Amino acid sequence: MRSATVLLLLILASFSVSCGKRSKATSGAGGEVIYAEQCASCHGANGEGVDEEYDEPLWGNKSPESLVRYIHKSMPEDDEEAVIDEDAEAVARYIYDAFYSPAAQARNNPPRVELLRLTNNQYRQSMSDLIGSLGPQTRIGTERGLKGRYHNSEKMEKEKGFIGERVDQRIDFDFGESVPMEKMTQQGFSIRWTGSLIAPESGEYDIRLRTHNGALLQLNSFGGGGDEDAFIDAYVSTNNELQEKSRKIFLLGGRAYPLHLQYFSYQEKLSSIHLEWKSPHGVWEAIPHEFLSPQGAAPVTLVQANFSADDRSRGFERGSAISKDWQEATTFAAVDIVNHVVANLEQLGRHRKKNYKEAKDLRELCLELAERAFRRPLSEEEKALFVGSRFEGAKDVESATKQSLLLILTSPRFLYPGLADNEGAPDGYTIASRLALTLWDSLPDEELREAAREGKLQSAGEVAAQARRLLKDPRARIKTREFFQEWLAMDEREDLAKDGTLYPGFDQRIVADLRGSLETFVEEVVWSEKSDYRELLTADYLYLNPRLAEFYGATMPDGGLYAKVTAPDGMRSGIFTHPYLLAANAYHDNTSPIHRGVFLSRNVLGRLLKPPPEAVAFKNEEFDPTLTMREKVTELTKKDTCMQCHRVINPIGFSLESFDAVGRYRTEDNKKPINTVSDYVDDKDEKVRVESGRDLAKLAVESGAAHRAFITHLFHHLTKQSTEAYGGEALETFRGTFVESGYNIQNLIVEIATVTALHYEEDEAVALSTPTP
Amino acid sequence: MIRRNFLRDLGLSAASLPFLAGLPSLYGAEALGSRKQRLIIMFTPNGTLPGEFWPKAGPLTELKPILKPLEKFKDRMLMLKGLSNRIKGDGDGHMRGMSCLLTGIELLPGNIQGGSDTPAGWANGISIDQELKNFLQKDAATQTRFGSLEFGVAVPDRADPWTRMVYAGSNKPVAPIDDPYQMLNKLYGQMKDRATLVGVLDDVRDDLKKISKKISREDQRAIKDHMELVKAMEEDLKRAGDRKLVHPEPELDPNIELVNDNTPEISRMQMDLLVNSMANDMTRIATLQYMRSVGQARMRWLEVEEGHHQLSHEPDKNEDAQEKLLRINTWFADELAYLVQKLSDTPEPGADGSMLDHTTVIWTNELGKGNSHTHDNIPFLLVGNGAGFKMGQCHDFKGAPHNRFLMTLAHSFGHELKSFGSEKYCGDGVLQLG
Repeated sequence: MRSATVLLLLILASFSVSCGKRSKATSGAGGEVIYAEQCASCHGANGEGVDEEYDEPLWGNKSPESLVRYIHKSMPEDDEEAVIDEDAEAVARYIYDAFYSPAAQARNNPPRVELLRLTNNQYRQSMSDLIGSLGPQTRIGTERGLKGRYHNSEKMEKEKGFIGERVDQRIDFDFGESVPMEKMTQQGFSIRWTGSLIAPESGEYDIRLRTHNGALLQLNSFGGGGDEDAFIDAYVSTNNELQEKSRKIFLLGGRAYPLHLQYFSYQEKLSSIHLEWKSPHGVWEAIPHEFLSPQGAAPVTLVQANFSADDRSRGFERGSAISKDWQEATTFAAVDIVNHVVANLEQLGRHRKKNYKEAKDLRELCLELAERAFRRPLSEEEKALFVGSRFEGAKDVESATKQSLLLILTSPRFLYPGLADNEGAPDGYTIASRLALTLWDSLPDEELREAAREGKLQSAGEVAAQARRLLKDPRARIKTREFFQEWLAMDEREDLAKDGTLYPGFDQRIVADLRGSLETFVEEVVWSEKSDYRELLTADYLYLNPRLAEFYGATMPDGGLYAKVTAPDGMRSGIFTHPYLLAANAYHDNTSPIHRGVFLSRNVLGRLLKPPPEAVAFKNEEFDPTLTMREKVTELTKKDTCMQCHRVINPIGFSLESFDAVGRYRTEDNKKPINTVSDYVDDKDEKVRVESGRDLAKLAVESGAAHRAFITHLFHHLTKQSTEAYGGEALETFRGTFVESGYNIQNLIVEIATVTALHYEEDEAVALSTPTP
Repeated sequence: MIRRNFLRDLGLSAASLPFLAGLPSLYGAEALGSRKQRLIIMFTPNGTLPGEFWPKAGPLTELKPILKPLEKFKDRMLMLKGLSNRIKGDGDGHMRGMSCLLTGIELLPGNIQGGSDTPAGWANGISIDQELKNFLQKDAATQTRFGSLEFGVAVPDRADPWTRMVYAGSNKPVAPIDDPYQMLNKLYGQMKDRATLVGVLDDVRDDLKKISKKISREDQRAIKDHMELVKAMEEDLKRAGDRKLVHPEPELDPNIELVNDNTPEISRMQMDLLVNSMANDMTRIATLQYMRSVGQARMRWLEVEEGHHQLSHEPDKNEDAQEKLLRINTWFADELAYLVQKLSDTPEPGADGSMLDHTTVIWTNELGKGNSHTHDNIPFLLVGNGAGFKMGQCHDFKGAPHNRFLMTLAHSFGHELKSFGSEKYCGDGVLQLG
């Protein structure tokens, strides 16, 4: 970056000379001297600005050329002629390099904990938990399926004769011309299912009813349960034809949503009812039993707004972009949420035994929400601004409540969690706020708030104990799951489709199953007692369901959606050889050692790869058709400039050539035996022979770079900050405890949450209070 | 108070676009090329008392008892006797009475069983109000923000062929909104939200300023950017708020619960909103549905304790029932009179005369007579001069299918349909009402 700047300035210099823009010779002093004489009085010695003069700091993205032009023309303000031509150029060059340019800023301001806004996901989570904290709390039980009550109908009476009750694992019934249960009459019967739907991850779900008869679905309903409140209304059937009605809804993962399904068949020949979904990465299917619970749940207040994607320029989502889009989306979402809360006040009042028609109770409600949203108690002044002033002289309590809530929910104190931090050593509220954000992407719950209030969040031990508690919550599970999706780049290959002639049977169903298999594997490892990172790398088994077992030629043990199966090829080694990742990092009609190599060396082995010096596309048709993939890649990357990185990339890819583009084991490529042996160059520039996924796993287990890559990815995902911001030693310290704990992932998460929650830099506070002169 | 504000509404409005963009449409079209014309269809259930309702054919001189509340509008009234809902097929009399009333087409076979006949599903076609809505919305000169509004009063919270008379198409029933607060929110929610927002954004900015002083210089940048955006939004909203409505948003009593006994208050609130929405040209087509077919409303405010439907089954010789039904139907006429009076008291925006000069209100019912369940002599009473029919008359069409009347309505808007609903009942063309 620095050298590029110098180059730019050289070009700039020669440009102005060649243009003959040379006028009378001036002092010819260096830019630094001119700046000190002419500019510093208003802009400050280091461009930081001077109060009462020009208080904006001189930082920005303008090019050196435009700085020159601007200074030449307009600076200094009271005497534009004082700094022109070469002097303007010299000053521009000086300020650009010294403090103006982004590169200079990065150099002058070493990594620090940045003030970030909530990411979109954090916003949704926080909002749902904030409003949800007012109502009844849901604990998801362990029983699965939906509770069904079966009745015979008579004329207009749908539930005339009770026949029986049972828990149904899934709602996926073709009764045909028969009845669902003994003693039911084909003439007319009805079933009412109740329980809740558990969303396994955050995202958009398609929910569908398919029935020959009448059905009405309520999902996450706040209302009393009438038809008006239906999520899908397919109550009236036509001609006994199969009707299919679907609707989309954005759900937050790890939460349960109340579900109520009424179904009836009346004087109809055929009877059927299917409750189906397409989950964010799934295909249409009857909602599997593990995502249904016969237990009810409190409805979840959801932000249904569309947000533009968060900044990912550093490889992970961060709330750094303050854009018009975002400001509008959050403001309008707040308006919606406020309307929603106000519309449900009566119901809320009943639950909380308050009278939400009275100013007193409403003020309390607003204050309570403000404290939770701002993650700490309000000062008297803040209470007056956010609540008190709204109720004084308001025309009615409802508008006062609306104004107060809107002010709270659009306040930066809610949107920028870092603003909850106190000055000096973090107090209990700061710690609680950080823990909840790191582990849940959300706000502290009642237990955390109480611990903060009572001063029980002081020692590292107390903080770690809370972190451990939070880690057991479904929200932490979801956040961890999202980390693995990110680290393993699972979402970067949404359209994982393969050539149908070469890989018959590898359809979207199999892709969804494979993703499920990988996620099941990761979760089984992470949430086991050992929670061993090495297991992720070395496991010699796969989790397969019957469909996958058939496709990959394994024998399926009885029962279970996914079961642990020792791979028949005996060649598997954790994530290195998981068929989802092997297939994701491959072409649609062939393997791709380069894709596999790049992904694994960057994300898993922690090698830094520069972008290729020249872009070279792999064009299969340009090669001798008798070559193997390995031979083609060797040919393509043989240049020295390529081999700088490909001596790392290729051996990794070649060692996995015994797995085809859908991750099946093979021994031949293009009718030639496969050679997986090559020499990998490690980070100490030493050659290591590798020939299988197991060798790669051994490398990763033993390599500090691999550990650091894993820890860094996890750290970014959890905190949205860089590890350097917590001190140059932070990463190595985490690695030390990680290795010591037997590579325990849960332990690492708790460690990161605890260390960052307690983090505090003494001189940071000093810098805050004393502006540079 | 049961205010039905649902999650799904969040999803719809949160996209935020209608909030700032497209503001003019909130206020309706401004320049009017031609004469404005509106239609309101008011429905009340369970048949009328023919003897107390129908006058002799010819000029309207004396009104029967049910219509006494409308006495002063006699010259602006038109009564169409002898129209029959001839639609046969699946569904009981009430279902067909209701769901074929404005569609003029058969019900699809289905799974909803009535008290008699075969089970049925939804109507197999569009209703006349929606047909006209689509017609008006196609033309920029007659387009309005909503196109049509569906009001309800005490409509039970269920969706079936007894409860729906408006259809956007075959198998596509449209639910009326029977909560005036929900309707108010639909009409004015965005404007109110905007006002609330304007009221707080200034303070958000002040608070940002305070915060900005406390944080490190590097972090101030985000807060400053944020402050700029809040300022820009505030200015946008203020500009948008500067536009005035022709008629101010109605003030609703905020404390009316949606329960049976409050029906009279709810009825008036809905009519106030209806007239207001039309005065501000948010729509030119509206329906106003009281209860539903087979509705069992207990009109205690009329000192009637029995359910309406049950009463309507009583034989003619049950004098007590007859007297109560008379009270009920006269009350409905009273409500109609309130609506018509309101239209006649409101000057037509941007033109001479009153809104009633540009509006046709139709009062109808799913049955000709309650205890016989007949589909003959369906009440069709028109008030107002929107359609340009010759008023002050009672015609007797001696059993003509009601499809022909629905067609006539379309023609009055310049929408010259060859048929409407089931074709076989349209052969004789439109009715001569000019």
